[in-house]
Amino acid sequence: MRDAGYYTPVSAFIGRRLLLMVPLLLGISVVIFAVIQAAPGGPEGALLETGRFIDPQVIENYRQRLGVDQPIHVQYFRWLSAALTGDLGVSFSTTRPVAEMIGERLPATLELMATSFVLAAMLAVGIGILSAVKQHTPIDYLATGASFVGVAMPVFWFALLLQLLFSVRLGWLPVAGTETVGATSMWDHLQHLILPAAVLSFRNIAGWSRYLRASLVGALRSDYVRTARAKGLPERAVVGVHALRNALIPLVSIMALNLADLFSGAVITETIFAWPGIGRLFVQAMFARDYPLLMGILLMGSVMVVFFNLVADVVYGVLDPRIRYE
Amino acid sequence: MVSSRIRRAAAGTVIGLLALGCGQPEPGAAADSAARARKILRVAYNREIDVLNAFTSQMLIDIHLSMVEGLITTDENNTYVPVLAKQIPTEENGLVVRNEDGTIDMTWELQENVRWHDGEKFTSADVCFTWAFVTSDGSETYNRDHYLGIIDCQMPDEHTVVMRWDDAYGFYAGLFEAILPKHVLGNMTTREIINYVPYNRGTETIGTGPFRFAEWKSGEYIRVVRNDDYWRGPQYPRIDEIVWSFVPDSNARLNAMRTGRYDYGQIEPTQVSEVADLTDYDTHLVTSNRFMHLDLGVNTERGRRLFADANVRRAIFHAIDRQAIAEGLMQGTVQVAHTPINPANPYHNPEVPIHAYDPQLSAELLDQAGWRLASDGVRSKGDVRFSFTLLNRAGDRERIAIAQVIQAQLKAIGIEATFETMESAAWTQRWRSGEWEAIVAGWFLSADPGVTNLYACAGANNMTGLCDPLLDAVMERSDRRIDFAARKPLLDTVQVLLAEGARTLPIYYAVTPEVVSKRVVNFRGSGTNFGSFWNLYEWDLRQ
Repeated sequence: MRDAGYYTPVSAFIGRRLLLMVPLLLGISVVIFAVIQAAPGGPEGALLETGRFIDPQVIENYRQRLGVDQPIHVQYFRWLSAALTGDLGVSFSTTRPVAEMIGERLPATLELMATSFVLAAMLAVGIGILSAVKQHTPIDYLATGASFVGVAMPVFWFALLLQLLFSVRLGWLPVAGTETVGATSMWDHLQHLILPAAVLSFRNIAGWSRYLRASLVGALRSDYVRTARAKGLPERAVVGVHALRNALIPLVSIMALNLADLFSGAVITETIFAWPGIGRLFVQAMFARDYPLLMGILLMGSVMVVFFNLVADVVYGVLDPRIRYE
Repeated sequence: MVSSRIRRAAAGTVIGLLALGCGQPEPGAAADSAARARKILRVAYNREIDVLNAFTSQMLIDIHLSMVEGLITTDENNTYVPVLAKQIPTEENGLVVRNEDGTIDMTWELQENVRWHDGEKFTSADVCFTWAFVTSDGSETYNRDHYLGIIDCQMPDEHTVVMRWDDAYGFYAGLFEAILPKHVLGNMTTREIINYVPYNRGTETIGTGPFRFAEWKSGEYIRVVRNDDYWRGPQYPRIDEIVWSFVPDSNARLNAMRTGRYDYGQIEPTQVSEVADLTDYDTHLVTSNRFMHLDLGVNTERGRRLFADANVRRAIFHAIDRQAIAEGLMQGTVQVAHTPINPANPYHNPEVPIHAYDPQLSAELLDQAGWRLASDGVRSKGDVRFSFTLLNRAGDRERIAIAQVIQAQLKAIGIEATFETMESAAWTQRWRSGEWEAIVAGWFLSADPGVTNLYACAGANNMTGLCDPLLDAVMERSDRRIDFAARKPLLDTVQVLLAEGARTLPIYYAVTPEVVSKRVVNFRGSGTNFGSFWNLYEWDLRQ
């Protein structure tokens, strides 16, 4: 609805978007449920995976207890009616409540993702500005080259290389986990955090600094920057105040969208560094065809994506007052 | 935040709270243990386990067996040894008696002075309760069918159990690897027990074993501490604490072992050369009861046309150089297999006919069977090309590599094998359905050598569709013998018939390379489904 001269206040915009989330999430839950069920094989695969002989009656008993012998729509409505009361069900493999399992993994994922996020943001902005201002100099080429390497390098490979260097060769940092069992110091915990956070941030530094460089180079060529320079402003103010503020808009919106990742974790990094986060839980759930746990994790991820989309839209308007909410 | 989570997880148990006073000895520990440093065994473990109930866990139960004990376990020679039983009943020791009506009474004499971790006495009632649970409707114990031959469980006194079997079963000595505490779980239904989180998760996981549950930090580790009241005497166990850290990625686990921060870890066979320079560790190539094999199926139309003829199967087997797979692919860490039963097992028959690598013979056999080389290099018979699909499980590098070798070697004799790769759970479903032509897979046998389930015409795990009534008869007979002397010749024949009938091509006995610190004393690795931690009570760590 485009109506010149009339703008919805931000609160109404947010309220409407929140309301729209309800049918959206319901739709998402149907799709996720269907997709999970459509994958061939069922939770009984976990029984057979060890290669032991299994009494066929046991497989039947297992399917019955989990309710996966029922038609899919029955299973879905059973899940939905429980979920509406806040009960995400119990995990097939551990028999524990899904919400509890997600809840205990969330802090580790948030900690790791937030650390790498902040690290990446700080370095990306610095590198991005530097290579835009020093465009076509050796510094710029170095940053560009490093970025391409960062984007192209497989995460698992980079992670193992860091382990080899810092853990095996130098012995400075531990390979896996979040703490040395028995040690209680903060430093011990931070040592465990360094490698996975570094691996995770590396890719974002590379990507984000390229975004910033591109938009800043564009901004530096624009008329208002030329005007600012013409009226005699120092270069620091031209770049820092006039150009950067505009150049940050695309980067910030991308970062806001990436915020959803904070909750979904990092599958490969968490697995390699044995970090007890959501990403690893998801992998386990997937291989075990642990339907309730998969639903819980995917649904939480969806809520976060939808929510941070909204955040991105709002932030956009704050950074650029010309953007109006409708 | 992290430490508050630890506290919450541990709050349910006194043990957990006490253990949090890290670095301090457990209250009540022997005085001398207070004087010396705590001995902590650190294990880099392959995966996080599901539940601590040994009868409902879908994984190998080696962590469980540090806390929970059964009547028996298996030692490094693939032989059953008594744990909570004083001895394994046999006809020779008079504890197995045949009744006139064909039933058999089997008497288990239990260790006395055994107490559960909460101080309750372990008695015959616990054993019969475990039997009732495993055989109940809705039970999810993988080998429940093995227990169904027990028709009654009697308790003449607190330390004696008499099990009445409806017939003789060869596998009787391999049951009851764990016993459940009746005083904890006795008032629940089967489903309630299966879903009972405090027992599944540790806070109420009560056993009789050398270690007590202390803490399970989700996604990170399980920690157990010394049971000061262990029935084998105050000298056991010799270690104060074990931490099983979950390090799921095999490369990361290799790196973890190389940092020297762990005392035990399993690695991949292909990684063995990379730990050769670790001077503080020994690498034990523990032959596992898992045997890799190539199966050919006749359930599909194409499978029937190609593989129904035993001579054709034989031709294929002779075309595959298993020695090259063992030496090249697996870097000499594994031993070529000719029969499903492991050489470490006393029932292994070393005299079975061998499908030696002989492409010449393969070609002759195929020619005789009417499969002639066509101009495109692939054999055909009538309008049928000798081409089939090998079903691969995605991500299983070991099996896919084997499949690639097989593919290349079959091509050399004019047989075309194509690949179809499926994700793990999907692969399992397809495999169980029998709708495939060929697969490379691995069975994990218990120490009991019975393979009826795998190769009988109606065997629940015979997915090939191949059937041999003579073999069935011999296997059936061997299953009904409970003494080694009578069972051994029958199982020898079974192994010969399997080879002669070209029922399956055993490729090699898988090994689990176990990297163990030289500090560890009394490591006696076992390749059965109970794992290498079977004798943890006597493990020690040199200071």
